Amino acid sequence: MNRWWWLTIGFVCWMAIGFAAFGGRESRVDSESAQTAGRAGRIVSLAPSLTEILFALGLDEEIVGVTLFSDYPPAAAKKPKVGSFWKPNIEAVVAARPDLVITLGFAQHRSLADRLERIGYNCLTVDVEKVSDLFRVIVEIGAASGTQGRAEDLAGGIKNKLQALSDLIGTEEKVRVLWIVQRQPLRVAGRDTFVNEMIELAGGENAIGTTIHKYPPIGAEQIIASRAEVIIEPAMGQEDLNLQRRQAFKYWSKFGNLPAVGNDRICVISGDTVSRLGPRLYDGAETIARCLRPHLFED
Amino acid sequence: MGLTVLIMVMMACAAVGTASISFRAALEGPGEQATVNPDYEILVNVRLPRILLACLVGAALACSGVVFQALLRNPLADPYILGISSGAGLGAMIAVVAGFSWTLWGRSPIAVFAFIGASGTVWLVWFVGRLTGRFHVTGLLLAGVVVNAFFSAVIMFITSIARADKVYDTIFWLMGYMTAEDFLTLWIGAGFVLSGILALFFIAPQLNALSLGPDNAVSMGVNVKKTRLIAFLVASAITAIAVSLSGLIGFVGLVVPHAVRLVFGPDHRQLLPLSAIVGAIFLIATDTLARVVIAPTELPVGVVTAIVGGPVFLVLLVKYSRQVGWMK
Amino acid sequence: MSGIIEVDNLSFAYTADREILKNISFRVDAGTFLAIAGPNGAGKSTLLNLLCGLLAPDSGTIKVDSMPVGSYSNEALAEKFAVVRQEPVPAFGFSVIEMVLMARTRYFGSMGFESRQDRQAVNEALEATDTAQFAARPLSSLSGGERQRVFIARALAQSSSILLLDEPTSFLDFKHQVAIYDLLKAAQLEKNKTIVTVTHDINLASQYCDQILLLGADGSYYTGNTRTVLSADRIRKVFDVEIFEGKIGQERFFIPLGKSTRERGQSDNKNSQSPHL
Repeated sequence: MNRWWWLTIGFVCWMAIGFAAFGGRESRVDSESAQTAGRAGRIVSLAPSLTEILFALGLDEEIVGVTLFSDYPPAAAKKPKVGSFWKPNIEAVVAARPDLVITLGFAQHRSLADRLERIGYNCLTVDVEKVSDLFRVIVEIGAASGTQGRAEDLAGGIKNKLQALSDLIGTEEKVRVLWIVQRQPLRVAGRDTFVNEMIELAGGENAIGTTIHKYPPIGAEQIIASRAEVIIEPAMGQEDLNLQRRQAFKYWSKFGNLPAVGNDRICVISGDTVSRLGPRLYDGAETIARCLRPHLFED
Repeated sequence: MGLTVLIMVMMACAAVGTASISFRAALEGPGEQATVNPDYEILVNVRLPRILLACLVGAALACSGVVFQALLRNPLADPYILGISSGAGLGAMIAVVAGFSWTLWGRSPIAVFAFIGASGTVWLVWFVGRLTGRFHVTGLLLAGVVVNAFFSAVIMFITSIARADKVYDTIFWLMGYMTAEDFLTLWIGAGFVLSGILALFFIAPQLNALSLGPDNAVSMGVNVKKTRLIAFLVASAITAIAVSLSGLIGFVGLVVPHAVRLVFGPDHRQLLPLSAIVGAIFLIATDTLARVVIAPTELPVGVVTAIVGGPVFLVLLVKYSRQVGWMK
Repeated sequence: MSGIIEVDNLSFAYTADREILKNISFRVDAGTFLAIAGPNGAGKSTLLNLLCGLLAPDSGTIKVDSMPVGSYSNEALAEKFAVVRQEPVPAFGFSVIEMVLMARTRYFGSMGFESRQDRQAVNEALEATDTAQFAARPLSSLSGGERQRVFIARALAQSSSILLLDEPTSFLDFKHQVAIYDLLKAAQLEKNKTIVTVTHDINLASQYCDQILLLGADGSYYTGNTRTVLSADRIRKVFDVEIFEGKIGQERFFIPLGKSTRERGQSDNKNSQSPHL
């Protein structure tokens, strides 16, 4: 069929032209030079935890875009929004004319950063999964935004406070903790999470052993087998903590066998400082420590 | 056929019009080359690629829907009926969950794996459907149902054991989204989709004949085997590409062919090009809505296509159903 | 294009144990109107499918214009045979003219458009079948008889030398039955088409067809000129039913007699015309 040949030829030519014209990824930005540039004047942050870090570095004036639900510090909530954490709006980001865009490392953010860089914007992509990441990222952000000094101070400060906490706890035996993420279905924080790290910093250990999931759903058997000494539930939203405490108590009373329940050691804490891995790490760790060893904090 | 050209012009206008509808009122100023001008950046590097992508994907899905309906002689067929959706979804999910970060020529692993998943599933379904020997429409449909069910179950399984954020990523992908791809991707995608649609147009008369049943088509001198093979391959290919570029956008492939058929008739020589255009326009429009409705949050396009498409289709149905025989 | 069919020692079986057609031979000259008749299950439709190449014979040959059917390409075969089958209404609402135009598919140009010749063939076919007034209407809005004429128009538009029909009048009323056969006869006489139709109606076959092939369920068959082959005895034997043969002028007709009719005939001896028993 004559026309089929034409079609094939046309197709091949089209592809050849395409590769010739557009092939080769050019990134208009040299990311090396971007990071050693001076103070970035306009910064967009695509995650609440990153926003917290920026504020902690004193960059509140420079922030020109945050994602929805960036609620700490309160000033962050007043900043212009560029979409949600899961799906940032690229147009809004571009419209903010940023000198620097900071994103996390998961797929959506990574591809967004990719696109922004192709257009010609500076992007910094970081992964904040573990506590050690946090310190490194604070320094990276400091470098990218021209606030290295403050960054190192911030990171150092947190480390010192954590060290002090650790000294306070000393060599007391670790407390077995069950960290409840969700009650229906029941999900807990596993060992491979930053929550777990916070628990350990606070002198506890996860009552659940190693699991495949980071936040596994567990059944009643495992709860009982965990022999948890303390149950910690981060509170949902801003609701009355007392109300949530009563509800939690009612729920857990059916597990009378657990040491935590028997000793009335169910802690409902405010979720603010423990829901994201950010500069308030120490506050989160201290809150947990107060739950685990209230006697240490009677002052 | 002059009608076609007219509508193409309309489409071009729709493309431009879309940009100014958006919530960014301060728009114009293209022509400025500097990185500093965000309006230009938005228009050329964000909006335009997105509109072009919507154009491609809309056309691809609509044409694919037309062809599957003809091939399976079933007005309820859509491009995903033979398992492409679950295959692509599974591919995407595997890519996300396994955390691949390498890229193929800079294309994200999700897209690549989704494409592999989609194409692989098509072959699987074809193979299973042909276990009965001859090409049998029912066999193919059943194979599609089975494969869909199986892969969906696997997807749910992976969902239950994977990390929350990874699952979230996949869900967004599954709901269908439009992103501003770079021009190379667009060009390549366009190459495939345009040649695909053209190839399907070449076999349009044969598709007409095929709707009378294979025996009759053969008696009229149509090479049924060749027609079916081309139709199946090409339609699956352009669907797989559409899906790998923009996730699973439903409704377009099912409803646009029907709408166009209701208004313009079932002759595939018209139906194909018109469906392509209408599909493109439809997706551009719904994508704009998806972007704009609750800015700065973006709705997944798949949601808007269904919400908008449903009532529109009902209206068409009521208005034109008397003219069409099969509605009796 | 002539349209000569030569069948030589044709045998076919769907499954190994039941042979439907056993060593059948017959010849149809160009421009002949052949009827294939016989009881249910005798293999009439099967024979039709074998003739047009949809099925392959187990043994024996079928030749069209001196070449075996199997040796023709699909397109070349479409020039020999146009087939009108029992058809459900198609799922998509094609109009009459679109339907008939499909017969010209193999002639379409590279961009899929029909030529003036194609349109002419379609118009002629519509005229011949008296369906031109329906041209723009969807097929499903027509009555059974009108639809059947459209299908025949499609077969005519294909411009083949042979027309094969599978019980074209089985669901039609008298008027339409006659109309269809008139149509076919005209096609035969005016366009010199060879026409082969499977039919249950012996009488119409007797009126219109030059040649007949009677297929028995046991594999026996009779073929030849309608006048010579058709007789009450033979029909009785092939269809296993009592037959009353009558004559009006030159035309003979055959009426099957059931139990009740026979009994009535026996008890009522005063009839002027006594049946052949």
